[in-house]
Amino acid sequence: MLPMMAQVQYGTEQYAVRAYAGYAHNTTYGSYGVFDAGGFMPINQHFEMQADLRLSTAGNHALGVQLRPKFAVPVGEMFIDVRLLSNLYKRDGYNDLTQFIGVGYRMDHVTAILGMSTRLIMETPYDWHGTQSMIVEPYNICYKIEVFIREHTSPWNISLCATNMTDYQIERVWQPVFSVGGWYDIDSHWRVNLAALCKPTGMFHLNAKYYGAELRAGFNYNF
Amino acid sequence: MKKTIILSSIIALLCSCNPDTWNLDVTGMFSGSSAGIDERIEDSFDYNNQHGMPHLYATAESYKVYVATDTHVDRSRENWEKFIQAYRADMSCPLALHLGDLVNAQNHWDYMRRPVDSIPANPLKKDTLLAVAGNHDLYFNQWKEYVRLWKTSTYYAIVETPTGKQDLYIFLDTGEGILGKKQTEWLKTTLNWADTQAFRHIVVCTHTHLFKLDSSQGHTSNMPLEETYALLHLLKQHKVELFLCGHDHSREVTNLGTMTSIIVDALFDREPQPAYLIATMDENPIAYRFVKP
Repeated sequence: MLPMMAQVQYGTEQYAVRAYAGYAHNTTYGSYGVFDAGGFMPINQHFEMQADLRLSTAGNHALGVQLRPKFAVPVGEMFIDVRLLSNLYKRDGYNDLTQFIGVGYRMDHVTAILGMSTRLIMETPYDWHGTQSMIVEPYNICYKIEVFIREHTSPWNISLCATNMTDYQIERVWQPVFSVGGWYDIDSHWRVNLAALCKPTGMFHLNAKYYGAELRAGFNYNF
Repeated sequence: MKKTIILSSIIALLCSCNPDTWNLDVTGMFSGSSAGIDERIEDSFDYNNQHGMPHLYATAESYKVYVATDTHVDRSRENWEKFIQAYRADMSCPLALHLGDLVNAQNHWDYMRRPVDSIPANPLKKDTLLAVAGNHDLYFNQWKEYVRLWKTSTYYAIVETPTGKQDLYIFLDTGEGILGKKQTEWLKTTLNWADTQAFRHIVVCTHTHLFKLDSSQGHTSNMPLEETYALLHLLKQHKVELFLCGHDHSREVTNLGTMTSIIVDALFDREPQPAYLIATMDENPIAYRFVKP
């Protein structure tokens, strides 16, 4: 759920894998643990891929793929962000499949993405003989703005992010998630990542209160 | 450009302090001014414990429930008055519901409540109007006003027919888009109890809608996804037949297999197509129709 962990690797062209563990809490599940793994694949100069897997002790699992055609602009880089994300809310017997397409821009101190998503919601196991229709949430605006205090090539960095989409979940437009994150490069292969996330509720009910939080740490290995 | 952004921000903040200029409590985006859900539940439970849950009686096996939402009463209340007159005139209606956003913002509570007390009751029947709080009922620390006039927002009511058949109505406070831990536990306990009681119908009433199905919901926020699925699971597990909500202002009916979710149109006077819902409760699956005020 931590946008910081997207790790678009702007400024590098290395394959990378990562593994994180974290503690999370929300008022629906209470306390739970999360375990994330992922891979980053720079296919060539104009195309990169990312795959993400999340397992949680709350029974809420996620599997996602991101594809990013990209091209340089005079300052920074533009990219098309395409995501396919499947969330299994095993605890509650629901599965959703979310497709996202957006336009992004990244430079040393800022990453910004704006796009639309569509969500298919179905019970699991789905009752093919039942009368329930698959629920479709057809239009959802998605956004992400992340600000870094240092350049992407720096051996350490800290960022602040506001978004409604993370690597593991795409929320509705009025449900933002805020995070602060950072990394430190131990050497040319190993990177330590830390991040903290806060998910309020009711911001656009104009009754904002705490809903959930997450604290996560892990390692990236760049090949 | 920079000056424009700064100036706009200052105006927005100033407007948020003056509800007569702009009836939105913008500071609530960062910290809601009313008590949080777990505190509000305590207020509701205090009232419930002292007064018990409403137990109403229908005069026939088939009766009607009138449902209004999002009246947003501020300087006018024409549709709200028509709704009250309509359900009081209907001899088959023992229960009317308001699904939240009773007022648009502060300073209109007594004006909103007055027709409930001043429009003459029908001497030939008994009826009761019950409500839940919406997000507009919490702005500007209005929970106190809600409690003063409407007493509770988490409770259930039973309507009993002449032959002893009972329908259960559960009211949930989702004014900030979540149920919260205590209310979720209460809901589980209530639904577990309901499973042992052979209710004819179970209806859940709240303010916030479950899904974001069309562009009419562009301006209204949902519950977080985790909360949406957890609530859906509970409702379906316990065979809730009808989920009634508002918030969106636009009608929507979603078939969820054994359960139907209905967003009822707003009854706001400035709404282009205001409507309320009349549900018919009998031995058959719940039937409903929408009525223009």
